[in-house]
Amino acid sequence: MKRFLSSVTDGSGFDIGLVLLPLAFLFVMSGLPLVYNVVMSFQEVDMFSLGSFARPFVGLKNYIDLFSQPETRPILLNTAIFVSASIAGQFLIGFGLALFFWVNFPGASWLRGLFLVSWVMPGLVVGAIWNWILSGDFGVLNFLLRETGAISGNIFWRSDPNYSLWAVIIANIWLGTSFNMILLSVGLSGIPKDLYEAAELDGANAFQRFWTITLPMMRSTIGAIIALGLIFTLQQFDLFAAITSGGPNNTSNVTQYWAWDLSFRQYDFAKGATISVIMIVFVMFASVVYVRSTRHEVRG
Amino acid sequence: MTFQIELNGVNKYYGAFHALKDINLAIEEGTFVALVGPSGCGKSTLLRSLAGLEKITAGEMKIAGQRMNDVPPRKRDVAMVFQSYALYPHMTVEENLTYSLRIRGVKKAEARKAAEEVATTTGLSHLMKRFPRELSGGQRQRVAMSRAIIRHPKAFLFDEPLSNLDAALRVHMRKEIRALHDRLHATSVYVTHDQIEAMTMADHVVVMRDGVIEQQGRPLDLYDRPANRFVAGFIGSPAMNFIPAVVGEGGADALLDFGRTRARLALAARLTPGLAVTVGIRPEHISIVAAGEGAFDIPVGIVESTGSATYVTSATQPELTVVETGRGAVKSGDVIGLSIDPKQLHVFDAETGERIGTERPPVTAASPPRLHLAEGAR
Repeated sequence: MKRFLSSVTDGSGFDIGLVLLPLAFLFVMSGLPLVYNVVMSFQEVDMFSLGSFARPFVGLKNYIDLFSQPETRPILLNTAIFVSASIAGQFLIGFGLALFFWVNFPGASWLRGLFLVSWVMPGLVVGAIWNWILSGDFGVLNFLLRETGAISGNIFWRSDPNYSLWAVIIANIWLGTSFNMILLSVGLSGIPKDLYEAAELDGANAFQRFWTITLPMMRSTIGAIIALGLIFTLQQFDLFAAITSGGPNNTSNVTQYWAWDLSFRQYDFAKGATISVIMIVFVMFASVVYVRSTRHEVRG
Repeated sequence: MTFQIELNGVNKYYGAFHALKDINLAIEEGTFVALVGPSGCGKSTLLRSLAGLEKITAGEMKIAGQRMNDVPPRKRDVAMVFQSYALYPHMTVEENLTYSLRIRGVKKAEARKAAEEVATTTGLSHLMKRFPRELSGGQRQRVAMSRAIIRHPKAFLFDEPLSNLDAALRVHMRKEIRALHDRLHATSVYVTHDQIEAMTMADHVVVMRDGVIEQQGRPLDLYDRPANRFVAGFIGSPAMNFIPAVVGEGGADALLDFGRTRARLALAARLTPGLAVTVGIRPEHISIVAAGEGAFDIPVGIVESTGSATYVTSATQPELTVVETGRGAVKSGDVIGLSIDPKQLHVFDAETGERIGTERPPVTAASPPRLHLAEGAR
């Protein structure tokens, strides 16, 4: 007992205690619900069995049922489009801005800080504002497009099945760009300046320097950002709730919104859990990419 | 005669700060030039201006006869070895070496062959597949040099390349760089704050302070005839002794002021009687004799021995340091006599610090010299 106490006060026991505390927290608050969710996806769950753990197992029935539903494929496709378009937009615009502010003109850091405003805004508020911007009859976006001659008639962004998903994507790109920009700025500033000078003396022009120095040196940052972007876009919910509610006719519905809709509006908890399990697989993949990219820090 | 590198009235301002003041420098092809001076003297700025990494504010800069003022670094055809080495961390040694060739569009096989050739001469052949982070400091240094050599540039620029190495390796690399220079007959400009590096490696030494070239010339000329007190104190180790003095009535000797101790010392040349001067004596030019037998006597303060040499510091104000080879019998508290050859004295104006006397330095910053390779270098 005494040895145990002394190891806690000045030995490895204290370190183990420090690790155990967050691990216990993570297990109770994240691990158990995750496992519970996976178990639920193999069970038959209805309003009456919701209160008990012992529910009849039905094997893969929930999965088979889910994929036989006609809306499943379009929604999965929507999710893929939403995730890839959002990440591409956020990353490209964020990288462009990061490179722009990297030039360090007067007021650059001040202006860069201002971009973080989008990051502190709640998704529902962002959604409400984009509702106005995207509004069909009197929206600013339509006004601009009309005045510049890009379109002749108004686009009903939120109610036109061809555009509804893109309305959310545009808002989501706006929301996530600043996060990308900040992380990429940090990555850029981590590249030693003398590498560029050496490359310049070695005869590389600005474009070659970008391809041969900047991009490879940013590999781990870019990997981390794409992985985080995948996780963040897969959990984007507020914008759907605020802008389209997944409509019209599921044309802007995505898995994360659908899972919520199935579980908490239609009370089909088993299906909701099943969709969540599919998403877990993708997020796990993203997490592995993230961990791997942050582990391989390149610096000689 | 065209020079490989020519600077005429080069000035550089950072805002109001005048970093380089009227720099004139002409370097013949194949010369090894060292820019030396304390930190902040402008030597690195001058080197970076040569590379094109800094833009000069006024004056003219020519490399191989071509005006370079507005030419971007990548078109100047000069190679630089950075203090930090600046190796590309995401590339192997081979990729680091061939980078400049690949950028120029040289075929892969050809670039590889060139890299192998250079690597053999610099002893890197067995490290070609390694990444910079897997190399030791000395190996990284070699990669940085090889990366410069592979290009056959018009000039090599070295920015304190040895300062990140330990003392023993530094001495070794010093010789290697010089040997490499002799083999390639390339024009090299080498920045260092270490006067020993400058003295041992260079054909031509440029001493800078506060953005001004204080003196330039062959290393031993700078040692023998420093143009002013700053150069005299900077070149040579241990540093030259400076003693305030007044020229005697006859003009043939000087009265040295050591505080309580006064001494009379014969001068090699006649000077104006009563002139306030600073007398400079190198520690290695003083020999210790018995009290009363030398030019003057002095009390001993500290005696330090390295085994091969003994450093005797006087208990006077200002201190006088004497270096004796071997192990002296002198102890702290002794009174010793000092013998000094008047020809080895340096006399400087007490106010301006400029050298006084007939022996003018052969080279000044105002008139660019024609430089020649040291004997045996070709």
